[in-house]
Amino acid sequence: MKDCLKKAAPYVMFAAAWVLILATFLLGERIKEQLSLVLFTLGGVLLGFGAVGIALSRIRMSPEQQKEYERSEHDERNVAIREKAAMSSWYWTLYMLWAVFMVIQIFVGGLWGVAVSVVIVLHCTFYMINIHRWNKKM
Amino acid sequence: MTNRIAELRKARKISQAELADGVDVTRQTIISLESGRYNASLLLAHKIAKYFGLTIEEVFLFEEEIP
Repeated sequence: MKDCLKKAAPYVMFAAAWVLILATFLLGERIKEQLSLVLFTLGGVLLGFGAVGIALSRIRMSPEQQKEYERSEHDERNVAIREKAAMSSWYWTLYMLWAVFMVIQIFVGGLWGVAVSVVIVLHCTFYMINIHRWNKKM
Repeated sequence: MTNRIAELRKARKISQAELADGVDVTRQTIISLESGRYNASLLLAHKIAKYFGLTIEEVFLFEEEIP
């Protein structure tokens, strides 16, 4: 059941992405511009994750390669390196995003402020999901 | 912390890949452990000690820092 969900997830994300993108175009002027931007951004992010997930699932590996890949995924040193790199990049990109957010709020505002807010929320969500995933693997 | 992994491995004529297979880590992790660039977790230390049929203290040498 868990494996089935794991295999289906990229396809679900890919389909949901197209639903969101199509909804943005179909609803057009009927919804607020900010909401339209949020829908489109989420659609774009899901499209990226879905496409990458589908592409990775299509890669065929020999049993030895598969075993080696799984071992490297669970290897405690690799997990520690990935976690450290993710923490570091998340920390610095969050600082940069906040700087951009402040500059936009002060000098530009409006739609760009909303866009940066969405990116900051997605950035934090990505971090939380990955930390949870890596903690489970360790 | 230092360890005797390389010494024990060579004495038993075991390759890094074989040891990596035996304790379910990558060869890179064994290389890093032997060169002292990485300290094993308690679980991995236990697995390695068990692999050699020794205790953790016999494989991993904890050096107390002199103040």
